[in-house]
Amino acid sequence: MAKTTAKDAQDLFRALRSAYAATPTKLKIIDIYVVFAIFTALIQVVYMGIVGSFPFNSFLSGVLSCVGTAVLAVCLRIQVNKDNKEFKDLPPERAFADFVLCNVVLHLVIMNFIG
Amino acid sequence: MAMKLSIFVALIALLLPLLSTAFSPETPTDRRILVLLDDQSIKSSHSIFFKSLQSRGYDLDFRLADDPKITLQRYGQYLYDGLILFSPHAKRFGGSLDLAGVLEFVDSGRDLVIAANGAASDLVRDIATECGVDFDVDSAAMVIDHTSYAVSKTDGDHTLIASDEFIQSDVILGSEKIKAPVIFRGIAHSLNPVNSLVLKVLSASPSAYSANPEVKLSSPPSMTGSSISLVSVVQARNNARILISGSLDLFSDRLFGSGVQKAGSETIFEKSGNEQFVTELSKWVFHERGHLKAVSIQHHKVGEVVEPAMYRIKDDLEFSVEIYEWSGKSWEPYVSDDVQVQFYMMSPYVLKTLSTNQKGLYSTSFKVPDVYGVFQFKVEYHRLGYTGLSLSKQIPVRPFRHNEYERFITTAFPYYGGSFSMMAGFFVFTIVYLYNK
Repeated sequence: MAKTTAKDAQDLFRALRSAYAATPTKLKIIDIYVVFAIFTALIQVVYMGIVGSFPFNSFLSGVLSCVGTAVLAVCLRIQVNKDNKEFKDLPPERAFADFVLCNVVLHLVIMNFIG
Repeated sequence: MAMKLSIFVALIALLLPLLSTAFSPETPTDRRILVLLDDQSIKSSHSIFFKSLQSRGYDLDFRLADDPKITLQRYGQYLYDGLILFSPHAKRFGGSLDLAGVLEFVDSGRDLVIAANGAASDLVRDIATECGVDFDVDSAAMVIDHTSYAVSKTDGDHTLIASDEFIQSDVILGSEKIKAPVIFRGIAHSLNPVNSLVLKVLSASPSAYSANPEVKLSSPPSMTGSSISLVSVVQARNNARILISGSLDLFSDRLFGSGVQKAGSETIFEKSGNEQFVTELSKWVFHERGHLKAVSIQHHKVGEVVEPAMYRIKDDLEFSVEIYEWSGKSWEPYVSDDVQVQFYMMSPYVLKTLSTNQKGLYSTSFKVPDVYGVFQFKVEYHRLGYTGLSLSKQIPVRPFRHNEYERFITTAFPYYGGSFSMMAGFFVFTIVYLYNK
């Protein structure tokens, strides 16, 4: 029973990887970017767990800048994905411009809040 | 015109202190006292009490209770600072004075002494009821005590009782202990349990009861034991003081001078405790004692002297207040170790006991809590026998200004790094994303 479960899991991962290989490079770049942001956020949360929440505003702005970046990147990914019929009328250039504008606003706020 | 006006102002300024000598906050002792009597004989039968008041500087105005010219006020100003009602049988007062008038007099912060007697009139009972004590409704009832009566040759019904159950308060009864028992012949009263301001000064012994001594007791007496108060005092919230006695004889020369032997005790006292008791009590009632005032409430930051208009959270501050006690002639420093200050907004955030320098100055220092809003310094000092002090001074507390926060904290460097790396990441991502084909 356990053996078949491990095998199933392996099969699942393999299927996932082969399916992901077909993803366009642009989307893969976005995915790496998202993973990077989430990873940075996790490091900060762990750090906060160790040293305590003293400059809480700094902690919040540090983590929220990562989370915000990840969310914006995911939004960009949804909008530039050709498979998404919902956004087929939206040019990818427009989506990218939105992404840049939102990032600028986000980082301005973060800089104000980081103390 | 301006000349005339300035003369007028100067005249007023000269006259004002003369007009308001009595009962000013500066000298709280009463000066002018109206004494209402049932008949003129009371004036001579209670002369020691009246003499002692006069020798202490009081200006007594004796009137019969039904004198049609009695008036407490003229042109909206009270003519008297205190009122002594030695008229237990008065059905109504003469002149314009009535129950409401007496209560208004007390409400204005002035003092009242009521002495009742057997067969006290409804008017006197009503005044007492309004002050928080209820006299026995049976008008023929007296306080009777078969175990702690005053031994006497003539009195066989034990209505002349000797009590030494005084209130434990130096400020009300003076620092000198009253050694001889106080003799009392009169009616019982009980304190209204709802009224928290009224105090028993002289209470009856547990074996006392209130009943008509002439008739055989057929039903249990309505008031018994220590719940019977013989003499009570009230200090109202406006610091008006009221003395209620169930006996007019308590103040009489006869009982002042009479010797006393308490039943069951071998000791015979040459002189009863009445004179000392009544004199000390009248000193308290007419504000010769136990009157506090607080002046110069000050606060400032530690290391500064100027009082700021506002504090910041976590400021260290010093608070001080001076408290004086009126000794009858001058203001003496009040020394106590239980004066507290509250730093108050809806509830006390800081409650500190003030330390005293023994010269009336109370001070402390504390840190403003980490909460901003409109706070108050509050001193609420209410002690048995003393006039209450309720001081409050408002002070706003603000949060840190934007530039008062600590910056570039070492602990926060990873967070700075995190957000800057996000910016750099955004930059790199943009380039890679745009130039990737």
